[in-house]
Amino acid sequence: MTTTEIMTLAQEPGDGGRGARRGRGVGAAGSSRIRQRLSGTTIAGFPTWAFVLFFFIVPIALVLWYSFGYKPDLFSAHANDKLSFDRYAEALDPTFLGTFLNTLRIGVVGTVICLIIAIPFAYWLAVKLKPQYRALALALVLVPFWTNFLVRTLGWQIVLSPQGFVSSAMQGLGLEKLDVLYTSTAVQIGVVYNYLPLMILPLYVAMDRAGTSLREASADLGANRIRTLFQVTLPLAAPGIASGALLVFIPLMGDYVTASVLGGAQGNMIGQLVASQFNTAQNWALGSAMAVLLMLFTAITVAIVAVVALVIRFGIRRARRVVLTGGAA
Amino acid sequence: MSAVDDRPAPSVANRRRRDGVGVGLTVWGVLVFAFLFIPIIVIIAYSFNTGRLLATWQGFGFDAYGAAWENPVLRASVITSLQAALGAAVLSTILGTLGGLALARSKVKAKWVLWATGLLTITLFTPEIVDAVSMLPWFVSLGTDFGIAPFSNGMVRLVVAHSVLSVAVVTFIVRARMHGMDESLEEAAADLYAPPLRRFFQITLPVASPAIWAGALMSFTLSLDNTIVSSFVQVPGATPWPVYIFSALRVGLRPEIAAVSAVMFVLTLLALAVVGLVLRRGGQSAEEMAKTLASA
Repeated sequence: MTTTEIMTLAQEPGDGGRGARRGRGVGAAGSSRIRQRLSGTTIAGFPTWAFVLFFFIVPIALVLWYSFGYKPDLFSAHANDKLSFDRYAEALDPTFLGTFLNTLRIGVVGTVICLIIAIPFAYWLAVKLKPQYRALALALVLVPFWTNFLVRTLGWQIVLSPQGFVSSAMQGLGLEKLDVLYTSTAVQIGVVYNYLPLMILPLYVAMDRAGTSLREASADLGANRIRTLFQVTLPLAAPGIASGALLVFIPLMGDYVTASVLGGAQGNMIGQLVASQFNTAQNWALGSAMAVLLMLFTAITVAIVAVVALVIRFGIRRARRVVLTGGAA
Repeated sequence: MSAVDDRPAPSVANRRRRDGVGVGLTVWGVLVFAFLFIPIIVIIAYSFNTGRLLATWQGFGFDAYGAAWENPVLRASVITSLQAALGAAVLSTILGTLGGLALARSKVKAKWVLWATGLLTITLFTPEIVDAVSMLPWFVSLGTDFGIAPFSNGMVRLVVAHSVLSVAVVTFIVRARMHGMDESLEEAAADLYAPPLRRFFQITLPVASPAIWAGALMSFTLSLDNTIVSSFVQVPGATPWPVYIFSALRVGLRPEIAAVSAVMFVLTLLALAVVGLVLRRGGQSAEEMAKTLASA
């Protein structure tokens, strides 16, 4: 259920092309004979699907299978001769739940902050910036996106370090030493930074596609800026907001590099717990159960937010419809 | 009369206010760019740190670059990364091109198209830690339990794992390119009795080539960048450079790590510039490029 939700949203960027193709399809419908001869290209995709099935779906199925097993002794990572839900019960202990809630908080707050930063920025990029600078600006957004994730996070470690230059500058100004490194505040800064480009790009695409004419029409019809923002600009950007939120929230929930570099003991995230079961504890059964729970909880959170968003949209549309019919009568 | 006089007044006020908002947005834009570049500039600056510890500035010098060059483990890790990136680029580009062509040239409503698209989309949306913890046991099973020796090889593991992560990106880039292309060229070739293979190599591939190159470079940089999955599937002796850094985290970071990062940063920029050039030569505008990359 949630995966189809994600799929439709992820397909959004390609939507324009699909529409154009459908239009062309009407004209080409007569040439089905040629189409049949072209079907060789259709079969060509099978190595790709087979590869993804074999190296992506099968491993995840394997993890699901392991999660019902157990760790038999000190030297084996898993065994599956007795199946049970015990690993799930074991995984759902207070440490896991506490870390999960911490991760969820960082994830939700991070996604919201990314939205708050990215909406005006994407608007500026798509509407206000002179077109000749736009390509350069987009390239500049992509540069951090393509810089190594770990390296960027290390940069923040230097910036936020109590011995770093920011801290020295603060002390020079008579302020206290900067003391955020190895706290969840540092992790929060790090994740907002690391996932921000993933929010900016889909928002930019949505706002760019929306064009200027509807906003101008709204202004011409006497709506003020705030009203235009909430009734025209943001609704038109909604697909971008949705895919941006997914692109930020889902990887963020599974992030473990940011928390490892900036979080220390206080800023634990669920990804680290999962990783430590595989790396340190060598308990693949428990680690698998944790990984499955991580996916499940993330999917549930996305589903809840999606349902709430749909209900709100339904409510707004209903309210507006009443206004419209009132005006017509 | 007065009504006519009143008219321009709000519009002037409006324009002035719009300017205020415009300035605010520009300031915001510049601030966000500053935010986006802070850690990158810091890392590059600290690669010139002559101190023993990365975060504690001592003085300016190129010592770190020399130290990085003379560190055999670090050098080996960079070479491993480049090899894995090349391998992953080749594998995922071949698979992604096939997949993208198949998706673009199929009936839109065919059920398998939906399944295939869904499958690839899920690979993009799965948290990387889940990919990592699921691929490790699978490689161990394949290599040890089923006795398929190549899967115990670190390089094979890295190439396959990185390809899984980037095959969807390449597929969607190629699909987007072929969607925008008229099928009539291929249909003409078919009408002129060009055999399928010839049609593929003389028409389809040249038409798709900008997307294929873009996809290849994208998967190259994605592989060069990958930390989490690599750190799980890697075998000692074939450690890619981000994993080396990640493990150095516990021991204490030295400036040579910043030096390597700066070099890799320049390398990634070059790759990005090549992607941009290729896409532009293929006739894509900046907007289309952003869309291509955003869908990735």
